[in-house]
Amino acid sequence: MFERVLNAFWILLGAAAAAYAWTLGLVGPSGPESGFFPLIAALIVMGMGVALMLAPSQRATAPEFPRSAALHRVLGVVAGLALMAVALPYLGFAVAGALTMLVLLRMVERVSWTGSVALALGSVVVVMWLFGNVLGMPLPRGPWGW
Amino acid sequence: MEALSNLAAGFGVILTPQNLYFCFLGSLIGTLVGVLPGLGPLAAMALLLPVTFTLTPVAGMVMLASIFYGAMYGGSTTSVLLNIPGEAASVVTCIDGHQMARQGRAGAALGIAAIGSFLAGTVGIIVMTFCAPAISAIAIRFGPPENFGLMVLGLVCTLYMITGSPLKGALMIALGFLGAAIGIDVVNGKERFTFGSINLTGGLDLLAVVIGLFGVTEVLANVERLVHGSLLTGRIRNLWPTLDDWRASWRPIVRGSGLGFILGLVPGGGPVTASFMSYALEKRLSDTPQRFGKGAIEGVAGPESANNAAVAGSMIPILSLGIPGNPVTALLLGALIIQGIQPGPLFMTQRPDLFWAIVASMYVGNLFLLVLNLPLVGLWAQLLRVPYHILFPVVLLLCVVGTYSANKNVFDLWVMLGFGVAGYVLRKLEYDLAPFVIAFVLAPLMEQSLRQALVMSPDGAMILLQRPITAVLLAVSAVLVALMFRRQSTHRGGDL
Repeated sequence: MFERVLNAFWILLGAAAAAYAWTLGLVGPSGPESGFFPLIAALIVMGMGVALMLAPSQRATAPEFPRSAALHRVLGVVAGLALMAVALPYLGFAVAGALTMLVLLRMVERVSWTGSVALALGSVVVVMWLFGNVLGMPLPRGPWGW
Repeated sequence: MEALSNLAAGFGVILTPQNLYFCFLGSLIGTLVGVLPGLGPLAAMALLLPVTFTLTPVAGMVMLASIFYGAMYGGSTTSVLLNIPGEAASVVTCIDGHQMARQGRAGAALGIAAIGSFLAGTVGIIVMTFCAPAISAIAIRFGPPENFGLMVLGLVCTLYMITGSPLKGALMIALGFLGAAIGIDVVNGKERFTFGSINLTGGLDLLAVVIGLFGVTEVLANVERLVHGSLLTGRIRNLWPTLDDWRASWRPIVRGSGLGFILGLVPGGGPVTASFMSYALEKRLSDTPQRFGKGAIEGVAGPESANNAAVAGSMIPILSLGIPGNPVTALLLGALIIQGIQPGPLFMTQRPDLFWAIVASMYVGNLFLLVLNLPLVGLWAQLLRVPYHILFPVVLLLCVVGTYSANKNVFDLWVMLGFGVAGYVLRKLEYDLAPFVIAFVLAPLMEQSLRQALVMSPDGAMILLQRPITAVLLAVSAVLVALMFRRQSTHRGGDL
């Protein structure tokens, strides 16, 4: 079922991209325009979507999506990364990174509070030292200046 | 002889303290990511790509290349000791390597893997030293139509070599083209698929895409399973193969070197395919195939040699033609472009210092890796005592830092997360992610070649058939597509 929905999505995506590419122009006086190459790509996406819809043998054999605890762990990682992306511009790398590590270690891996805090702080300090000092790639700072 | 004098000049460039340091650092990082499951060479190279922006092109490219071949060495350690491949090209090493470890022969398996890797890697680089200039000399005569035909053939070969559905592979290639089209059209400055977003005007960042697809996706796939405690608990002894081991292994090493090098040359081939095919070959040629899967040293020696020889082979298309055959070399191509270097047949004549320095660095890097992996294998094994639940949050933290560092733009983190989740779902549905990355990197070059070819022709698209080399390349591509669908319809019930 999921794969059929995905195949329908490919068809719609291809059709929408083809329609948009058409508006960019295909061929002008100086040769192919901006829409030419994307149109070809979009038509292939649409065509493959149709072909996949019509060819059941091309579908994945019993894909195993995670359930219950495994699903929570996967969603925990996604939530941790989303938290990092949201918090980074406001809190800086040190705090956002430590918070993300805490979420991952406590919520996903069920590590003890002491262990989680120690690991989170230790990892962030090492990464900041490695990238900021050794490799010369300063990481974003928070309102506290670190 | 010209190749030898150029190679000597390459050694002149590489044998400076700074370049040697980055060659060693890349070898070290490569071995590390090879040993640790959950972070492959592609993700590691992507993470460190922003670091190379501050380095000279030689130091940067040498470091990235050495991560690639370093990971091939390190990958065998985890496969043998834990039955968990450190990276994809070492999957097949698990079969007999881990059985040897269970029989108390982990040392012999690791030793033969390291020595086989060194010998095959060195043979591959020697052949590369002489082959790459010859191929480049032919390709230098190519114009836009021929380049376009070559890239089409490269993508079709990639499609031909993937194990899953070719329809899904073709879809991923087309999605790669569409993804690469986002941003400003360099020919006329027109915005494409940006929908007014300032974040999209520069296009999707290659690093965010690669780290998402190969770093985050890998973590999500691994985190499904709860791994308690550390990965390795026992001690490793007897780190040297016996005379009988040598007798059994030298032929597989020779065959693995040849097979791996040839498969490395083919777009879509590369180390992963080479290791699997070498294993199949050794099993077929063996007088006692029943030993395979129960600790046959040939099942370690052949594949480990093949994946290292394939690295040297896969560097030839990228350095002499500018055509990447797998996602790792696609990233190397991206790195060259970011450094302002135009890859392709002219690369060798325009930047001989860089080309020959990369070749020379591979000789030096292989020596570093032999030292890092043979006497120090016990040290690497200690890393496997770090519990996985500590490793994966650190890997994610590195993914965030690597993605953010390139452009200092939080939007790239969302792109990384989006591609990570999409890659995870698509992998579950048996979509191969490699064609997407290769197409994503090749698309701008391919579009440029196609547009130039069409502009230079009064007969429009007919130029692709009028130029003999292009016509042959496209005809071979068409034959491969036909063969691929025929194979699929035979294997899967014939509904195509």
